[in-house]
Formats: sequence, structure tokens, C-alpha cells
Amino acid sequence: MLLLLDILTTAAILFVVAIGLLAVFGVLKIINFAHGAWLTIGAYCAVVTGKLGLNPWAALPIAFVVGAALGGLAEYVIIRPLYRRPLDAILATWGLGIVVGQLITLAFGRDVQLTPNLLSGTVEILGTGYSAYRLVALVAALVIGAVFALVIERTRLGLSARAVIMNETLARSLGLDTARVRLVVFMIGAGLAALAGVLLTPLTSVDPTMGVGWLIGAFMLVMVADTSFLALAAACLVFGAAQVLVSTFVSPVLGSIAVAVLAALVLRISPKGFSRA
Amino acid sequence: MPETVPAAGLAAARASGRPRLARAAPLAVALLAAMALWVAPLVLDTFAVNVLTRSMIYAVLAVTVDLLWGFAGILTFGQAAFFGIGAYATAMLLSAQGGAPHWMAAAAALAVVAPLLLGLAVGWLSFYHRSTPLYASVISLVVPIVVTQGIYSGGERTGSSSGLVGFDVLPLEIEGFFRLAAILLVVVTLAAWILVRSDAGRLLVALRDNEARCAYLGLNPRRLQIGLTAVLAGVAGLAGFVFANASGVVAPENAGFLFGTELVIWVALGGRGTLVGPVLGTIAIDYLAANLSGDLPFLWQLLLGTAFVAIIILLPGGLAELARRAVSVLPLGRRAAAPRLAARPARAAPRNEAPLLSVEGLAKSYGSLTVLESIDLTVRAGELVSLVGPNGAGKTTLMRCLSDGTEPFRGSVAVAGTATAGLTPNRIVALGVGRKFQVASVFESLSVAECLRLARAAHEAPSPLRRADILGLPQPVLDILRMTGLDALMAEPARLLSHGQKQALELAMVMALEPRIILLDEPTAGLTKAERTTIGTVLKGLAADLGIAVVLVEHDLDFVREISSRIVVLHQGRLVLDGTVEEVVGSALVRTIYAGGAHA
Repeated sequence: MLLLLDILTTAAILFVVAIGLLAVFGVLKIINFAHGAWLTIGAYCAVVTGKLGLNPWAALPIAFVVGAALGGLAEYVIIRPLYRRPLDAILATWGLGIVVGQLITLAFGRDVQLTPNLLSGTVEILGTGYSAYRLVALVAALVIGAVFALVIERTRLGLSARAVIMNETLARSLGLDTARVRLVVFMIGAGLAALAGVLLTPLTSVDPTMGVGWLIGAFMLVMVADTSFLALAAACLVFGAAQVLVSTFVSPVLGSIAVAVLAALVLRISPKGFSRA
Repeated sequence: MPETVPAAGLAAARASGRPRLARAAPLAVALLAAMALWVAPLVLDTFAVNVLTRSMIYAVLAVTVDLLWGFAGILTFGQAAFFGIGAYATAMLLSAQGGAPHWMAAAAALAVVAPLLLGLAVGWLSFYHRSTPLYASVISLVVPIVVTQGIYSGGERTGSSSGLVGFDVLPLEIEGFFRLAAILLVVVTLAAWILVRSDAGRLLVALRDNEARCAYLGLNPRRLQIGLTAVLAGVAGLAGFVFANASGVVAPENAGFLFGTELVIWVALGGRGTLVGPVLGTIAIDYLAANLSGDLPFLWQLLLGTAFVAIIILLPGGLAELARRAVSVLPLGRRAAAPRLAARPARAAPRNEAPLLSVEGLAKSYGSLTVLESIDLTVRAGELVSLVGPNGAGKTTLMRCLSDGTEPFRGSVAVAGTATAGLTPNRIVALGVGRKFQVASVFESLSVAECLRLARAAHEAPSPLRRADILGLPQPVLDILRMTGLDALMAEPARLLSHGQKQALELAMVMALEPRIILLDEPTAGLTKAERTTIGTVLKGLAADLGIAVVLVEHDLDFVREISSRIVVLHQGRLVLDGTVEEVVGSALVRTIYAGGAHA
């Protein structure tokens, strides 16, 4: 039962971290290697919120807005010129990640920062204590997933985004302002990354390079999910389970690379990953 | 005798004098560089010697990244892992056995072989029929992560997170290690330089430009990419051996993904696709980093990151591109001379009446949509068969099924009696099938002569050492070149050709394969009337004089009527008519199909 909870909450955290990257990859068809830096930005938003003495939960909306605003700037300056060079976009966003990391270091120092607890304590489940925060993360993932689905299925922006995913040339020739769709989606993706950064703060130490470790896992999950967010959820469950099981029963070191290795193998066997199933 | 030498001969002698000089240039430059680096430790201070030793080893890695990414188009972060494995193999073996000469030799061998084998495995994983460049980059990201985690979990043997120190190393002073690194760098750069200037080096660029075309020239792109990955993994491992000896310490970071990205950054800043750019860029950046990062660690990283982003966006060719632009302002414009054309004896094609191409019950569907259904078709030597039919009739799909056995279809296709099911395009080309695409598929950054040389590469392996002065082509190819005027444009880059010239070039490349069957998808689309007539004459000649079977998809019925020996009509995925020109043109069915009335 605890194992199952671990699997579910691990999958939820992976999902929260990867969803922003998925949105960007789906619509812009580029891999945002600055995603890790935006996680870090979000986490530092939580740090600043704490220093200002605000309610820790206020960090969530603040991070989303800050992340989205900076994301908009990045899209305009860096992503837009590289639209037709996807491999170069990987490199440029990676460079952007370095720049962001160093700016944060210059501003806050390279030490680990303490953040106010969003929620502490444990919950009694079947006679054992379970971290309450991990359950919050599970709920957060469900909420984010649901909102994301609603936006995709029910709003005009979602419709435009789906049109761009399917056939960008056609969408543009039908008069859709695809550049604006790309900008907005990138901002949302960046905002979600920053939001995920806040949600990560109770689970991981906050320092300027914290994002890199999460980036690779998220990246592999998105590769496997292609552009479908349901496939992403499935991939998070499967690989999250693999990670928890390997960590528990084999070794934590192998567990930490389980996602990357399994995703690479899945892609080798079925290049479309989970999205075809 | 000198007075009897014809003028043309003199000109040729003069022209060949310069290439010979140019051919010696890499050797001369390498020799000079080696001599300069040999004396350099005498004038540099100890700090500089130490740092530059490391920088030069990194520059070796940069050369390998550049060959993979800048030349062959494979963006890789994995060279760090191979380097790390080489370094760790050395350190682990020397820790366990000590530094006796034979163990040192064994360590060097292991440092090459272990990464080479892993490179083979990684190559196999990264490159397969229809793999994408992005996937190869993904794998190259995973490899260093896995290797680093392996090092962390290695316990005593790998020193876990603190790495290994205190193993025996080569008995050299720091000047000695500097010279060792310098020699390695000069040798690797020289080898890379000779390779990229050679005919075989053009193959790397061809892979980057147009992998599909390589496959349809009968080359195996997978094997080339895997081979390149493995060999360069071995080179990176050798650099790791020198690094472990020179520094006396190895750490997990040496194999890590972050180091892999740094290598890419150095190559990008220096200038991918040139060799001098990455080498000088790496040495300069690493040396500067060692000097500056002590005082301004974060600022230095910030500047480097900013410069990297700016270069990627604004100057994809890196600093070398800037230098090249500056130099090209000077009136030194030198263009590589095109090789001389020569006719090579045609391969005697056995001419018999057995069908060259036989298709039985071919059917293909995408999900519930049936594109082709029960197609039966036989084509013999010397026939010129035109496939006609309205848009969406399945003509191009049929062509694809004929030239790629990995396409999922039902029924059977056989070329000269050999079933093609499951065969990749390059193996079908080896059976004697040449395919010309609807949109001309050539190598945009190569010259006309280089494109044609690659078209011969499956028959005559291009030299990895030099550029041949003579380009031997079958007579029909020379005829095509002459008729289309391409023979005067041999040194022209293919991207500067007109649409019609590209089509002609692709046809010449396909013919250079000496195929027995050629498949042409709308060879006259977008051509002028004059160009059409030329292509028609060429095709008729190929079928009538050489006994080549020609299958073409065409919309222009006048053109079809003029050249075909047989016409096959496809309609809604079915073969509705197969007969002589008179039979088909006179048929009422064809008229209804083209008038749009036959949805039976």
C-alpha cells in the first residue's frame, strides 16, 4: 500500500514537472532545455515569498506569473529566431539555462536555500504515517492535469493549440496567428515549470542547479509521450513505478536512471512512444 | 618532346600542380604546429603548461564532436562518456596493476577498446532505419548519465563520487605531458583534416544533408553512422587515457552530461563544420576559463552562456564563420577545381526476357483507408512503362512500396527474381533499382561533381585520404550531363542549380548507379518544354539502347504518349488498365477517369 502511494505520488511529481515541457514541445516542436532553469526560478520565487513573509501558498500564483512573464521574454528573444532549427533551439535554451542559473547564483549565492514549509506532518493511512505533502502533490497533479485538459478541450486557445500541433502550415493559412499561439503556449509552459518548481521545494533542496536533475527525466518522459498529455500521464505512471520499484528493490542509483534508460529503450522499439497506444 | 605537348596538356599540368601543393598543406601545417608546440613549454610558465595540456586534450574531444555534429549532423552529448570511460579504464587498470610498461600499454589499449565497443552499442541503439536525429541526441544524453551513475555505484573500484587518484602514470614531467597532448591533438586534427578534405569525407556531409538520398544511392547510412560513432568513441577514449595520465586524477564529472554539453558549447563557439574553429575555440575558452574563473566564477559562466546563446542565434557558423567572412573580403577567392570527367566501361548487363520487376497482389492500407489493392505488374528489360492516373490514385505509394521493402504492404515485389520484402532501400538499390524522387533529392552543400562521386560510392569506395582528379562515370551519365549542360557546372554547389538542373543532376546520380530498373516520380514536373524534351530523349535512349527498364509516374499525357512503350492506369488504388499506348489512349475508360466520371 505504501509502495502504491509512493508510485502514485512519484508519478504525480514527474507529471507536474514534465507537463510544461510537453506543452512547449507539442506546439512549438522544440525541446526547451531551459525548463530546468524555470523550475529553479519557481523555487526561488518560493524563497522570495518566504523572505517577504507572505503565506507560502502565495508562491504558487507568483511563480506562475513570474515564470510566464520571463518565458514570454525568452520566446520573443531566443526561441522565435530558431523556429526552423530545432536542434539549435535545444542548444540555445540550454545556454539560456546556464545564464539563468548564473544570474540566480549572482543574486542569491550558490548555497542551498530554505523555504517555508507548504505543509508538514504526516497523515495516518492504514496504520502508518505518510508524508502529507506528497499527497498534496498528488492532488496538485490531478488539478493541473484537469485544468490542462479543460484548456485544451474547451477553450479557444486549446483549439488553436491543437490546430497548430496537427498542421501548423494549414493553421496559419487559415488565418490563425500561429506566432501568438506559440508565444502564449510557451508562456504557459514556462509558468507551469515555475509552478512545478514551487511544488518541488519541500521535496528537494533549493540551489541554483536544482533544475538540471529534473530536466533529463522530464525530457525523456516528453519524448515518450510525444505530444499527448494522456500519454504523458501513462508514461509518468509506468516510469514512476519503475523508478520506485527499482529504487526499493534493486538500488537507488539504478532507480535514478531507470526513467532515462527505459524511455530510451521504449523509443527504440516504438519511435512514437506511448502516444500510439 | 616538350614542344609537342598540346596546349590542353600544359594547362592540365599547371592545374594539377596546385592541387598537389594544396594536398601537402595539411602535413606542412601539422608539422609547423607540432614544432611550435614542442618548444612551447620552454617559454610558458608552469601554470600555463598545465592548463594548456588539459585544454589540448579537450580540443581532441572537440574535434570528435565536430566531426559528428558539424560534419555528419549528429548532435551528440555522449563524447564525454566515452572520454570518461577511457580515463576510468586507465585509472582503474593502473591502480590495480601498477604502471609497468606492459600494463601501461594494456591500459592504453583498454582505453580505446572499451569506449569503442560501447560506441558500437550506442550507435546500434541510436541509428536504425527511420531513426530521427533527435532520437540520436536523446541517446547521447542518456549515455553519460548512465555512465556517471555507474561510476557512483562502483564503490572502491571507481572511487565513487570522489574519483580515483594516486595511480601510477607515465614517467613524464609536465613538459612531457604537454608534448604528449600536443602530439595527440596534432595527429587527430591532421587525420580529421585529411578525412574531411577527401572524397570519403564528403560522405559525412552527404549524411548530414540528405540521409535518404544516401540510402537510395545504395549506401548504408546506418553502418556509416554507427562506424563513425564507434571510431570517434575510441578516439575520445584515447584522449581519456592521456588525460588520466597527465592529470593523475579522474572524477565522475569527466564522464558527465554537463561536460558533454560543454564540449558542444566549445564547438559551437569555435565554429562547427570547420576544424580549426573548434580546436582554437576549445583551447582559448578552456584557457580563459582557468584564468578567469578563479576571480569571477559566476560572471565567467554567465558571459560564456550569453555568448553561446548569441552565437547559436546570430552566427550558427561560430567564430570561424566570422573569420571566414573577414578573409573572404580579401581577394583570395579560391575555388576547388572540379575533377576531370572520364567514361568508364559500361557493365555488361545480361539481357534476358525474364521479368526484371514483378509485382503480385500488392496491397497497402493506412488503417481503414485502402490506398492500393491487388496490383499485378510485370516489367521487362528495355520497357518504358508509364504509370498514370489522377491525384490520389496511389502512384507515389506504389513507387515507395517498390523501392522500400520495409514499407508495410501485402503481396509480393520481386526484383530480378529476388523478393524485396523487409529489405531497406540501400539493399534494394544493390539489386539494381534506382529511384528518382518527385522533389529533386540531391546533396545541397556538395558540388555537382561530389554528388556524382557519391553516386558511385557504392561501387568504388571513395578514398579517405585524398581527392581523386578523375571522376569516372558510365557513358549514359556523361551523355545526360552533356545534354543538360551540367558538365560545365561540375564545381557548382548543388544548391545553386536551377530546378531543372537539379532534376537532371538527380537523374544522372541515379544513372551513375548503373541500375537495371529506374523508378522516376514525375521527372518532368515543373520543367520547361525544352527540358522535358531532353529528359524524354534521354529516357528513351536508356530503355532502347541499354535495355534498362524505366517505370515513371507522370501527369503529362502528351509526354507519356511520346515516350512510353506501355501505359498502366491506376485509379482509386486499383490497376484498371495495362496496355500499349494505342490501347490506353484510345480507351473510353481513361477518358471517363480523367473527365472525373468514373467512381464505380
